[in-house]
Amino acid sequence: MNDGEAKAPSSPEAGGRAGDALLTELRDTLERAARLVHALGANLGEPAPGLVGDDRAAELERRLSAAEADVSELADRLVESEHQVGRLMNLYVATYQLHAMLDPQVVRTAIADIAINLLGARRFVLLLQREEGGGYEIALREGLRPEVDALWAGEVYSGGDPLVDETLAEGGLRFGPTSGSAILAAVPLKMQDEVFGALVVLELLEHKGKLRSDDKDLLDLLSAHAASALLAARLFAAKDRKLKTLESLIRLARGE
Amino acid sequence: MKPRKVLVVDDSALMHRIYDVMLRDQSVVHAHDGREALESIAQHTDVDLMLLDINMPEMNGFEVLDRLREGGQLANLQVVVVTTEGGEEEARRGLRAGAAAYLTKPFRNEQIRDAIAQLPERATPP
Repeated sequence: MNDGEAKAPSSPEAGGRAGDALLTELRDTLERAARLVHALGANLGEPAPGLVGDDRAAELERRLSAAEADVSELADRLVESEHQVGRLMNLYVATYQLHAMLDPQVVRTAIADIAINLLGARRFVLLLQREEGGGYEIALREGLRPEVDALWAGEVYSGGDPLVDETLAEGGLRFGPTSGSAILAAVPLKMQDEVFGALVVLELLEHKGKLRSDDKDLLDLLSAHAASALLAARLFAAKDRKLKTLESLIRLARGE
Repeated sequence: MKPRKVLVVDDSALMHRIYDVMLRDQSVVHAHDGREALESIAQHTDVDLMLLDINMPEMNGFEVLDRLREGGQLANLQVVVVTTEGGEEEARRGLRAGAAAYLTKPFRNEQIRDAIAQLPERATPP
């Protein structure tokens, strides 16, 4: 996944749909594996009656070859299903971690954890719509290099990278680099089709190399869940502050 | 090899939860930095496998390996390093320090399972 763009799902349930698709794929794989086991059992049965000598040997050899091919395909299918289970598990855990706490700092840490440990990002920034004033707060930055990352050095991002600006304006997931942008991916953080920010991936870990098709599920999950987790945490923190202020006022009024 | 007890050492809450799900049929204990890892090893003497991150606060994974080797604790404990540090030099350093395997993040879950399965059997301590 390099040049060009891929549209992120338009609803916040995108992460759930990605999980459903994976589950369907996994179910198909397991059903196919069951059919292969059945065919394997049939191939290992007795040869047809009436065959003798060379014919019997040839028939047994044919069945053995067919059984070996079935075993090989079954093994491949099992490896693939294990991989799918692993992907589903990681998506489940990532979703859980995003929504586990109502502390904005903890949610930001969860996003960074996902970007580093599951996506393999080395250099990235998290942009969040400012509560007051225009532009986007740079809420998280990781591995930035001052000599190449001047655009992300300040407290606020007000535009400048065409792919990021398109993502923030239109909400699509975009991949680079392109002629005008050096970023690898701009992931919109959306809730109810409204864009609240973006995760901008600038560089991957060296051994990761490039983004793969498997990573799309993870990017969709971040797109659908990170914004709601962050906004919920922000709201909770704001309400908590107000509640504590009111409690203090009440205590003061009672003369405690 | 099927470990009796696994110590997961990582400063990421996400990774702890992933290991919890992945190793759900094993007994798992957790440490969030190198110092805590050494305390856990002293406390849980039946830990026979450690999944060890390298970049951690307090004490990094290489220092943990050095301490374990100096203390003679690697005789009954196998260590699989799991880290974002993917350089060959880091891998060599980890293996030289006594790690049985060196894996990089992000990993496919079956890579961890295979690495554990391929660890040589050790004599069970009395």
